[in-house]
Amino acid sequence: MSAGAKKRIMREYGECINDTPPGMKINFDEQNMTEWEILLDGPEQSVYSGGHFKLKISFPTEYPFKPPVVSFKTKIYHPNVSNDDKGSMCLGMLRPEEWKPPNKVVSVLRLVHSLLIEPNPDDAIEPSIANEFKENRKEFDKTAKDWVKRYAK
Amino acid sequence: MSANSIGIFTIEFPDPYMLSYYNDRFETLAANISFQYPITSNIQTLSSKSVEKGNDPYGILFVPDLQSDGCKNSEKDHVPENATRLSNLPRDADYSLVAFAPWFAPLCMQEYLDAARRSPVKAFLVYQPGQSATMPPPMNDPSWGLEDGGSWKAANRFPVYALASISGGIIMDQLSKYSGNITDAPHGHDLASIYDLTSYVRLWATINTGSGNQLPSLWVFLVIVLGLLVLIIVSTSTCMHLIQRRRRNDLRQRVINGEVNLEAFGVKRLTVPQQYLDKLPLYTYTNGPRDADPEKSVLHEPPPAKTPPSTALDVETGMKSTAAIRHSSALSATATDPPAWSQPTCPICLDDFEPNETQVRELLCRHIFHPDCVDTFLLSNSSLCPMCKHSVLPSGYCPAKITNVMVRRERMIRRMRARSGANARPITEQTEASSSPRTPYSRGVGSLGSRIGGVITGRRVFSAPERSQTRPPDIEMAGANASPPESNSSPPPINANSDPNAVPEITPAPAQSTAPAQTNCSQPTSPTQNRREWARQRALALLAHHAPADGSEEENPGSRWRRGLRKVFPGFM
Repeated sequence: MSAGAKKRIMREYGECINDTPPGMKINFDEQNMTEWEILLDGPEQSVYSGGHFKLKISFPTEYPFKPPVVSFKTKIYHPNVSNDDKGSMCLGMLRPEEWKPPNKVVSVLRLVHSLLIEPNPDDAIEPSIANEFKENRKEFDKTAKDWVKRYAK
Repeated sequence: MSANSIGIFTIEFPDPYMLSYYNDRFETLAANISFQYPITSNIQTLSSKSVEKGNDPYGILFVPDLQSDGCKNSEKDHVPENATRLSNLPRDADYSLVAFAPWFAPLCMQEYLDAARRSPVKAFLVYQPGQSATMPPPMNDPSWGLEDGGSWKAANRFPVYALASISGGIIMDQLSKYSGNITDAPHGHDLASIYDLTSYVRLWATINTGSGNQLPSLWVFLVIVLGLLVLIIVSTSTCMHLIQRRRRNDLRQRVINGEVNLEAFGVKRLTVPQQYLDKLPLYTYTNGPRDADPEKSVLHEPPPAKTPPSTALDVETGMKSTAAIRHSSALSATATDPPAWSQPTCPICLDDFEPNETQVRELLCRHIFHPDCVDTFLLSNSSLCPMCKHSVLPSGYCPAKITNVMVRRERMIRRMRARSGANARPITEQTEASSSPRTPYSRGVGSLGSRIGGVITGRRVFSAPERSQTRPPDIEMAGANASPPESNSSPPPINANSDPNAVPEITPAPAQSTAPAQTNCSQPTSPTQNRREWARQRALALLAHHAPADGSEEENPGSRWRRGLRKVFPGFM
């Protein structure tokens, strides 16, 4: 990883500290600055409220030309988070073809936050969950809350 | 080998014991004065022993002699007394022979066969006495049993064929007529006038087993089928290659004409060659323009001679020209605005530019970056501006190699665009209208809007020359001026939170955050840049599930088999 990229990540970390989206805490390791660990409380107004989620953001070597990789380490029932051990997210600006270098981690964190409040079923990674979200919102809410109790306490 | 047909002829051959020039001459008699009897059906092959390919049995027909008196007696019912016997043929002459006998009793048949084995018999024709004209029973029918378990077939050195009863009767009848002197034969006087009196006139059988052409015909058939198959495959492959080559050339042509931007379409990730990079202007950053001071801004005007905009004017065709022209037509709205650098920081490394100190590289879209930062990006990652995804390459730039994958992807995107254009007409009409001049395919949608668009473009093209001089105050500044400088560094709106209910393809593109005013009200003066970006985003969103995540990836690594198939039949999948 180039010095420029490291400098940029440091700078972004500084920005994140000052402007952390609500309910988020960043664990930053100077030795391994390309892997951020985020502790995230489920937003109050969402079905995930009360849950504590662990996220990982890893920066590729080509950062900021390639997007950071966001993955949920805590299991979560969400149409935009893959329902496997990776818990990866790939939508909107996180897509490699949509990512632009001016995008920043803060906006990625905001994206995650807003997606917890309002999932985007039209750009889903889990079509079945997205379908349930659209067709049977009650069932979705129930399962999501259930998962929060089971995995995110 | 089974017999296809048997020909019975009458032949004349000289007595070998007469001194003659023609001792070895066998002559087939003319049909009108002799017996000829072609049998083409109802031949049952009982044994095909010793019949080799291309070696059909033939010979003089005769009835073998029986041994036992019992058989001799019963033979009288079926064989006329004067039927041709071995004794009716020249003695000790080594003629080819074809034995002929009625199959009336197993025991007698054994005797016939024994007798035949002692002579140079090439084949044995049998028939079951009777009046039946139908096919003799098949080979394994019990009526062909000789009470020896079938070993008689193995003991023979010749094939055995069965004829229909009625055919056998006819031949046997004739065989009795052609057994004596030439004058005793039917038409004897005519024959005597032609041939020597000492000559023999006998019946002759030729058995066509089809060995010369039957099995080979199967092979030939197979070879023909295989050949046809290969021909079809080769011609299909050639056709597909030709079609694919035409598509490649077509795509190249459209890229050169500027109708298609490969990277903006998401077809292929391009990079900028060093030579084009060197053409991009370098400036020393000043924060002057941010004060919107027209005097200062002039200083930062790129010298027309060496700047890419001028090259764009030179090669003006297709997309670039319309884009440039629309820029100039939009100028009326923004003519009073000075060109400005609205970016205080480099969007790549997030460092601030130092006024009068930092060197900045400006792209065609007037976004500025540290040369180090943006050069790495353009050389190795993308040919689009990191900010607005406007192509840095001059229009008409075409990568050296247009691959089939690119053609396929481009077609797919085009189809999707056309489909989404047809579906989302109300929303996209304006976009289609504005983009129609550079993408003739969107004209296929045939909306009124696109036709109007064409008309408008026509007018704009017409007015291009005088306006193009004033192009440098680019349309991008309209966006830049309309929004506060900070908006560049602020994150773009996210699909999800900007409008949760919106489908991805109609959410505003992130780049539009730099010009919210234009985007939201969708005025006719709105920069084409935004519309193009918007359409691109839509195409990308539509494509997202199909295109590989990384545009630089050439072939997705399918199985070898699949790759091979794709090589033979390009454009097949």
